[in-house]
Amino acid sequence: MLQVDSVKRGAVMTKYFRKELEKIKKKLLSLGAIIEQRIHLVCKAVLSCDADVASRIISSDNEIDEMEVEIEEDCLKVLALHQPVAVDLRFIIAVIKINSQLERIGDQAVNIAERVDVLAKKEIMDFIFDYTPMIEKAEFMLKKSLDALVNFDLDIAEMVCVLDDEVDRMKEDAYDKIKIAMKNNPERLGYLLNFFLISRHIERIADLSTNIAEDVIYLIEGEIVRHEKIDGEK
Amino acid sequence: MLFSLLAASWYISVSMEHIIIERAQDSLKAQALILGDQLGRHISSNNFKEVDGICKKSVLRVNTRITVILPDGSVIGDSEGDPLKMENHKNRSEISKALSGAAGFSIRFSGTLRQRMMYVALPFIFEDKIKAVVRTSLPLTVIDNAVSLIKVKIIIGVVCIAVFASFVFYIASRRISRPVEKIKYFADKFAKGDLENKIPAPKISELSSLSEALNKMAVHLNNRIEKVVSQRNEYIAVLSSMIEGVIAIDMNDEIIGINEAAAKMFNISRNDVKGKSIQATLRNSDINKALENILNENTAVQESIVVFNDKGENFFDTFITPICNSANHRIGTLLVFHDITQKRRLDIMRKDFVANVSHEIRTPLTAIKGFVETLHYCIDKDKKETGRFLQIIIKHVNRLEVILDDLLSLAKLEKKEEAKEFVFEKRCIKNVLETAVQVLESKAKEKNINIEIKCDGKIMAMIDAGLFEQAIVNLLDNAIKYSPDKTAISINARRDEKKISIGIEDSGCGIPKEHIPRLFERFYRVDKARSRELGGSGLGLSIVKHIVKAHGGDVYAESSLGRGSTFTILLPFQGI
Repeated sequence: MLQVDSVKRGAVMTKYFRKELEKIKKKLLSLGAIIEQRIHLVCKAVLSCDADVASRIISSDNEIDEMEVEIEEDCLKVLALHQPVAVDLRFIIAVIKINSQLERIGDQAVNIAERVDVLAKKEIMDFIFDYTPMIEKAEFMLKKSLDALVNFDLDIAEMVCVLDDEVDRMKEDAYDKIKIAMKNNPERLGYLLNFFLISRHIERIADLSTNIAEDVIYLIEGEIVRHEKIDGEK
Repeated sequence: MLFSLLAASWYISVSMEHIIIERAQDSLKAQALILGDQLGRHISSNNFKEVDGICKKSVLRVNTRITVILPDGSVIGDSEGDPLKMENHKNRSEISKALSGAAGFSIRFSGTLRQRMMYVALPFIFEDKIKAVVRTSLPLTVIDNAVSLIKVKIIIGVVCIAVFASFVFYIASRRISRPVEKIKYFADKFAKGDLENKIPAPKISELSSLSEALNKMAVHLNNRIEKVVSQRNEYIAVLSSMIEGVIAIDMNDEIIGINEAAAKMFNISRNDVKGKSIQATLRNSDINKALENILNENTAVQESIVVFNDKGENFFDTFITPICNSANHRIGTLLVFHDITQKRRLDIMRKDFVANVSHEIRTPLTAIKGFVETLHYCIDKDKKETGRFLQIIIKHVNRLEVILDDLLSLAKLEKKEEAKEFVFEKRCIKNVLETAVQVLESKAKEKNINIEIKCDGKIMAMIDAGLFEQAIVNLLDNAIKYSPDKTAISINARRDEKKISIGIEDSGCGIPKEHIPRLFERFYRVDKARSRELGGSGLGLSIVKHIVKAHGGDVYAESSLGRGSTFTILLPFQGI
């Protein structure tokens, strides 16, 4: 009698465990969708120097923090109750890490919004540097890293890691051009400083997206690829 | 069958055994009787030697052993042995029976002859007194042989019958089982889903009604299935041809159905998506939030959602309703998407246009009014001031004139479009380009801008020369306006099989990406302040677009910030 009971309980626990994993995955992807939307909005705000959008982004950041805490607590609960092993354990760990990267990307969006807010209050300068390709690339990398997570696709994750170099190059290009602009317009230093800082935040977003991609690779392969170059690079 | 055969054969052999023994008995009895008559004289006359002699003589003719015994038990004659040497037979069972007056019978082992014998003893009665017992006997082996012979015959008979019967049985059962097997084969096919074949009528009438019933069942099932399939296909056809996107999800937020329109809207593949959660596939926070709200309520919800892909933003009106089964339990959620992107764009365009027109015309008017009033008050004051004010007024009046001229051109163009009043002639493109450059020569010279034409003189097209020239002039004017001093503008005209392309390339400040789709709208300006200062009306590009469209062509812009822009006109080439 006792043996039958424990088997039944085991089956019920497994079903409950599976459901919990599904719920966590859905919550993580919902957070991902929100972050993607905020990045898209803040990038539009940068290109059109829109202060309204910027202030909206700054004020709605708590929502992100709450979601991040919720997801982390759910993961810890699963670890304590079910002691998962193998793929399931890697999954929970990957979720915890990606969860924290997403929250940091959200923070970077807020940082960019704060810069835009400051810039919008000052007098606009003539064209200095076009952030469009850099922003688009960072958005693309974020989207693709989440695609890799959803589809368990190793190739997409590796592609994201490779794209990080392009964004670094664009950041250096911005640095050079803005440096020249500072030399030529020393009276607009405040404006140009804020303008430059945006490039650092965009580059951080790209880095964090790369981290997400690396976490996905870990999840799929069980190997940690951080700080290494992907095959094919020097 | 085998059992009954065995039982029958056993019964028969046992009966046969009895019959044989009885017959042997009878024959022994008869022999004893006949012998008794023969021996009678000699027994009554106590001629015992003669008795014995006859016994021994008769054995030569018959196989029977004969023994004659006196009532006291002594043997007086025997066909085999010496009677004087034989022991007293009084106590033998058949003898004692015979001595009591009845016929005696026994089967036993004979000490004398050392084998089993059957004995029949009859009393010989003379003058009402038993004078002697005549006993005949037969060795059992004879009987046994006869019995075994019969038994063998019976066994052979039984085996033959068995074989024959099995054979007949087999044939008979095959006649039944073959058609049953055939019916089973077709029934199996029905069970697997192949309802097409009909069972052929078997020869046995009992089975034919069975096969007919099965056939009818198959036909009926087939019809039902066809009906269900065709209904399902109708639903699928309806869902596939809808323009609206439809997605159905279950209580776990997993996609159970999605039509083509929805898959296109969100740029996903229908086959990949079944069974995945809607959060994983659509990744849209507006939808996620709306779904959370409807989770606990059973009411319908309408939301406007934004979906962005690489081509830009799309707006959808979304209707979210719960799906309930017949018992009114919630089993899922239905989402229906209407694409209102176009509508929204048109709305925005219209609003902007109205705002822009009134602003464009109001601004100069306000300035003019202001200065006129000022003049009115200080008319006798400083002549220099008065002169300056009048200059400013004239400048604004001119501006209004430019705007109104352009508006009129646009209106005329639209009227011509409607009435299809254009007149096309075959012209050399290079000439038109050169004329246009000439018109703007002085402006270009002012900024030291060099305009270069790269065009093959042989390129010809059917155009309205005047209008086409105006379009080129407008584009060139913009190029000159937004190029810094001492740069170059190049006009490149090319022809390939299907079209002529004319590109005007400058090295100006460029146009930010998000403005490019709206560039050709009326009064649309990228940088309002700067463009007004440079004297534009905001209608130049709109006029170009109308002219090019009237020629059946298209115009588009490419630009990169800080480097320059290229405006390209495409004309269809009609094989001239």
